[in-house]
Amino acid sequence: MFRMGKHDPALIRDILSGNKEAYGALVKSHSPKLFRLAFRITGNEADADEVVQDAFLLGYRKLESFESRSNFGTWIYRIAAHCALNRLRGHKIEESSRVSDETDPETDSLQVADAAAGPERLILSGEIAAMQETAMLALTPAERAAFVLRHMEGCTTEEIALALGMEPNAAKQAVFRAVHKLRLRLAALRVNR
Amino acid sequence: MKHLSDEELLEHCYGEGAGAAGGHIESCAECAQAYAALQADLAGLHAVEPPARDAAYGEQVWHAIEPSLPVYGSPKRTWQRLGLWRGLSFAAACALLVAAAFFAGRLWEHRQPRITAAKAPPPPQQVVLVLLGDHLDRSERLLVELKHTSADSTEMISPLRDEASTLLAANGMRRQDARRIGDPALATTLDQLNKLLGELAKPSGTLDPAAIARLQKEASADNLLFEVRVLRSRIPDQGSSVTTRSRGGKI
Repeated sequence: MFRMGKHDPALIRDILSGNKEAYGALVKSHSPKLFRLAFRITGNEADADEVVQDAFLLGYRKLESFESRSNFGTWIYRIAAHCALNRLRGHKIEESSRVSDETDPETDSLQVADAAAGPERLILSGEIAAMQETAMLALTPAERAAFVLRHMEGCTTEEIALALGMEPNAAKQAVFRAVHKLRLRLAALRVNR
Repeated sequence: MKHLSDEELLEHCYGEGAGAAGGHIESCAECAQAYAALQADLAGLHAVEPPARDAAYGEQVWHAIEPSLPVYGSPKRTWQRLGLWRGLSFAAACALLVAAAFFAGRLWEHRQPRITAAKAPPPPQQVVLVLLGDHLDRSERLLVELKHTSADSTEMISPLRDEASTLLAANGMRRQDARRIGDPALATTLDQLNKLLGELAKPSGTLDPAAIARLQKEASADNLLFEVRVLRSRIPDQGSSVTTRSRGGKI
């Protein structure tokens, strides 16, 4: 998932001995990866920024409980995944209201809530991406987070379970349900493909 | 033939699950078709690419959170400082308590002697009255015993003589006390009592039944027992004399 930075253990020792600035180096080093994960789970840029900051704040507060033999990158990654899931749960209702969740009985395709986009501006890839995003928003927060970690981040079932604070079997089921729902919702794309 | 479930196909697709799934897919056309469809669908689900973040992104995150982060170690020192202040406050409170207790003790000591001084040394007249009351009690008891004793009984006379002898010595001092406090009635009665006690205290050979009868008659004639009782009633009761009087009252 993450490789331990060469200087991470030394930086952590510095931080715990009172050098707060040393944490800046860890933040700068791991922020991009955390942002990518947070954006994929939340699907929202502003939320992703918030998740990154929350994760580093939480990580700093828990730094004394961090075992130096562990990988800081993996550890903070798990914290970020958990923060993203919590944020997703908090904004789930708002996110759902952005798009219509009803299917068109004639076309059996999803209606994307983007009235401003005219047909000439909708290139195929953009439409697919929008439909995929819509289908992703229809997942539960746990399903979406588990699917992102599995399909996009390449995490194992154990890593997903650890990051999201659930049992491995529950993590496996969440991924399965997510894939099942996505395949059903994106069946129209399969026909057009 | 039992086909693979969707879940087993998905596990195999992500490289997990039983190793036998791969072999089954190779030998089962139906499962192979399902597996291919799943692979195609998953391949169509592209990873969402996040918006670009420049190289300064980490710096921005750090600047955003840095003011909220306390310095490790400093909270400990703060707690130590708080602990030190708490300890000093506790010590000061203890010292104040000890000082207050000390001064309270000193004040208590200053007040105590006055109280004991008021109680301990009784006024001389009060002492005299106590001694007089006790003397009159004993005298009353002797007179009662004399009144009721049989003149022929030498066994009864002997204790009376011993008691009279003791009372005679005390009676002299009480007579002096009576004169000092200026009580003529008491002095007169004690004079009469002195005479009687002198007669009773004589050696056994001279105190025959006739002498006893005479003394009984003189005591009765002088109303000495009555006078003693009246005088005794004028003196306020004291602890010891009350006991004596109640004993005398029973007789």
